[in-house]
Amino acid sequence: MIWAGLALTLAAALAGAPLIAVLMAAAMLGFLAAGVNLTVVAIEVYRIVDTPLLVALPLFTYAGYVLAEAKTSERLVALVQSLFGWLPSGLAIVGFVACGLFTALTGASGVTIVALGALLLPALLQAGYGERFSLGLVTTSGSLGLLLAPSLPLILYGVIAQQINVGEPFTIVDLFKAGVLPLLLMLACLIAWTLWTRRGAGRLEPSAPRPSIGAALWDARWELPLPAVVLGGIYSGHFAISEAAAVTAVYVTVAETLLYKDLRLRDLPQVAVKAMVMVGGILLILGVALAFTSFLVDAEAPQRLFDFMQARIESPIAFLLLLNILLLALGAMLDIFSALVIMVPLILPVAVGYGIDPVHLGIVFLANMQIGYFTPPVGMNLFIASYRFNKPVLALYAACWPFMLVLLAALLLITYVPWFTLALVR
Amino acid sequence: MRAELSARQSALAWLRRLEDALLVLILAAIIGVAAYQVAARNLFDTGLLWGDALVRVLVIWVAMLGAMVASRSDDHIRIDLAARFAPARWRPWLARFANGFTCAVLGVFAWFSLEFVLFEHEDGMIAFGAVPAWLCEAILPLGAAVMCLRYLLHTVAPR
Repeated sequence: MIWAGLALTLAAALAGAPLIAVLMAAAMLGFLAAGVNLTVVAIEVYRIVDTPLLVALPLFTYAGYVLAEAKTSERLVALVQSLFGWLPSGLAIVGFVACGLFTALTGASGVTIVALGALLLPALLQAGYGERFSLGLVTTSGSLGLLLAPSLPLILYGVIAQQINVGEPFTIVDLFKAGVLPLLLMLACLIAWTLWTRRGAGRLEPSAPRPSIGAALWDARWELPLPAVVLGGIYSGHFAISEAAAVTAVYVTVAETLLYKDLRLRDLPQVAVKAMVMVGGILLILGVALAFTSFLVDAEAPQRLFDFMQARIESPIAFLLLLNILLLALGAMLDIFSALVIMVPLILPVAVGYGIDPVHLGIVFLANMQIGYFTPPVGMNLFIASYRFNKPVLALYAACWPFMLVLLAALLLITYVPWFTLALVR
Repeated sequence: MRAELSARQSALAWLRRLEDALLVLILAAIIGVAAYQVAARNLFDTGLLWGDALVRVLVIWVAMLGAMVASRSDDHIRIDLAARFAPARWRPWLARFANGFTCAVLGVFAWFSLEFVLFEHEDGMIAFGAVPAWLCEAILPLGAAVMCLRYLLHTVAPR
């Protein structure tokens, strides 16, 4: 009976039933098998209310959507270009840096490709970069910045990990700090590779006029304080995450409607609804996943999985290697939020059993997912870019794989040299 | 038949406007109260006693309402491996199966969350201020029921 139900659930998942329904069914079947009254599922979902950190989610998402609707992307590119545009291959570097910052601010919903790609792609082509390189750059950079505060997946990993309680306490701020060096490493690898592939290509760029630093700074005057206030407030411990999120939401609203006048006040409800649809999807999945997780924990599933793994794999290095392969495959098939809620509750206790730091695991997990975003065949950003730039998906596969190899090299370093994640934390 | 259809459509349109309005109002309330709490705490070292609890309850309301809006156009996160690679003529049937399954699961969830809310009503627990806990929790069965009905529509009359 239970097995028939599980088979039906799996079939429905593959046929395209929403993840909420799939996880709900799995949790209910689990509790049913354990003879627990199913009201427990509702009680578990309602536990969202006991997690103050989650208040940050709708607030940051709303702020991100407002920024994406406003002309922030233009000002950001102009500013970064005025700062770095003079370097050799400066425009490519501008692309990487601007995309990383924008993704961190707007969450990781493919919005970077839509908002920044439209600006960067024509600029790159005009400056003489090849089409394949340019497409690859904007598509792969669409998930760069996932490791930087206040990106939503980073916050979500923290929330889920704290619910599981593996006995190695850490704060979200630890995660935010841990992501900094790995992101810089990825940027350094991408830039080094860009410079190497374009050695001897000469400076093609003067054709693209560069804004002066002063003008770009002046244009961005209302937005510049934002990262300082938010990140400064969080990293210094002055604001709790949810407080920083509230400040961000108010600040962004005032800046974009009253100061820049990019948006009218009456445009805001529509932006709010769009943002909350995304939040609703993620939060409800999280709530249901918490129910599913507490069933798994009751059933001692993580412990059994660890025993099973330990009997076969002894070294943490081998475990991490296996994990990388598994997560890359998953990242190419699942979107990041599904992967987080399904896999973290299972993997985290096992990883801690192997002596891996939960903060380190989180960064490794997200770095894998970041690459998964543009891993063929079904990485989400490949389809967004294909749709946005009107190119066949196959052309994007061809454009992205060199970038993927570079980021895989960075991923290996991040995975096997925990120093990158832990240097700023512990 | 036609009158019935248009009655259904106007009821759906009314529901849509209500959801949108509530969504915007609640988000505004979350931003307002959360920002007031930050300002009050940092500037005057005070704050609303029930403010943080209210904001946390509003977050689950906004999440449920967002999910309800997403189910209008079946705009939820999914893993549709089979549907993606299936031949085109199978897809409508796969979609019906997936939607029917979703409708059933949400129906069961709506039922048991209603039971949860009724238990809490009997207990008479207070969430914050004078607001009873069951009222805060009522969005669970309500939202699940609305989503269940929408998926019923997607199943019998796919677009």
